[in-house]
Amino acid sequence: MIENLKEIKKDELLSEVKKYADAKARFVTAVCNDLGDKLEVTYYFNASPGMEMSALRIAVGKDEEVPSLTGIYLTAVLIENEMKETFGLKVKDIAIDFGGHMFLAQDSPVLPMLKEKKEAAGEKGGE
Amino acid sequence: MAPRTIAPFGPQHPVLPEPIQLKITYEDEKVVDVLPAIGYGHRGIEKACELNEYPKNIYLCERICGICSCIHGITYCEVVERLWPVEIPPRAKFLRTIWSEMSRTHSHLLWLGLLADAFGFESMFMQFWRIREKVLDLLEMTAGQRVTQSISVIGGVRRDLNGEQKKKCIEVLKEVRKESEALIGVLANDYTVKARTVGKGVLSKDQAIALGCAGPTLRASGVCEDCRMQKYQAYGDLEFEPIVETAGDSYARAVVRARETLQAIDLQLEALGKLPAGDINVSVKGNPPANEAIFRSEQPRGEVFYYAKGNGTRNLERLRVRTPTYANIPSLLVMLPGCELADVPIIALSIDPCISCTER
Repeated sequence: MIENLKEIKKDELLSEVKKYADAKARFVTAVCNDLGDKLEVTYYFNASPGMEMSALRIAVGKDEEVPSLTGIYLTAVLIENEMKETFGLKVKDIAIDFGGHMFLAQDSPVLPMLKEKKEAAGEKGGE
Repeated sequence: MAPRTIAPFGPQHPVLPEPIQLKITYEDEKVVDVLPAIGYGHRGIEKACELNEYPKNIYLCERICGICSCIHGITYCEVVERLWPVEIPPRAKFLRTIWSEMSRTHSHLLWLGLLADAFGFESMFMQFWRIREKVLDLLEMTAGQRVTQSISVIGGVRRDLNGEQKKKCIEVLKEVRKESEALIGVLANDYTVKARTVGKGVLSKDQAIALGCAGPTLRASGVCEDCRMQKYQAYGDLEFEPIVETAGDSYARAVVRARETLQAIDLQLEALGKLPAGDINVSVKGNPPANEAIFRSEQPRGEVFYYAKGNGTRNLERLRVRTPTYANIPSLLVMLPGCELADVPIIALSIDPCISCTER
């Protein structure tokens, strides 16, 4: 069980994240899970000073776009690129977009973290 | 305006034991922009952990990184133990703490040696690594391995310490403390070291929080955050206060690691003195229920975050590992612009980058 977890709608994401930034909370990371027809993304924050953690969770369709947190927390740039290339999460307006090849090379498996991989013939690279 | 030049820093560079590239844009000798590029050694360990049974993942997680191997194995066990949940015996908690602090000691001594090497202080580099060897010998004596200790199991630890080993650990750790203290004194007060690190790569407190930094990189900017404040394992029974510096520069990051080296030895000595009697593990059978858990522990480079999701079977549904260097890389985007080109290696080294951790 995850403590201090708040489930929100995708449209509320940036306004909720802004509240953490205004409170000078530290962005820790995000975790993406493949739920079959949806992707679940949980964003974790640490309330500074101290070590109390809380989280925001959204669930989105695999074709839905998710706003980038990088306008608020630049540090989200790595995890958003990773979720994009390994889960196919469609993150909109990432401050630095590695184009699906931050970790994965041209000949790497496609969307390797999805439970049922999309095996498009001849498709190569991160996305 | 002077013409701008883009130069690659890495992926192979004398101060970088592992591959990462920084695309440095500079004007005259001043850095104006930087873009980190990673992906030279990604191994897909998170995916591999979904394909193996719970106990086998310990070996995978221990191989995320050679330097932080011990704490990766322990943190994996801690997060999986929370899926059941399982309470481990007090002696096992102390032993995990002792081995974790031994890892911190040798990791920080390794880094202090690398810092000396980056200045061209070869003799000091060798002296730090000579002292570090003694810690590795202790790890070999107590855990059976110098690098991948593999001491943690789900439910406790694999090995115990006998009276003779405990006595030897105390004796050697006191020696290591004395020698480290003398050498750190030289490093911290040297004119050249100060000239190359003081005021270089400054990260303010607000920037460190906004950029989500971790470990010494965060604490050197005046932020009092350390996972050990959560009092997991034996930390609640030990005298522990996070080490914080306020200057936020490369020198402050070095000082935090130097002070933490000595503190880690003190924690080991205290834990060895308070080591309770009893079992070292509990039997854990069956599969954990469908549940999810997180656990954070303090690696030498900072907070490591583990997320585990079980589905009631023998395999994990999902494992996510966020390592401290993953959190610290974005800080280079702020530390490097404005610095002299010659300072780039020291500033990059000052976050103690661990690329094998980053590219799990």
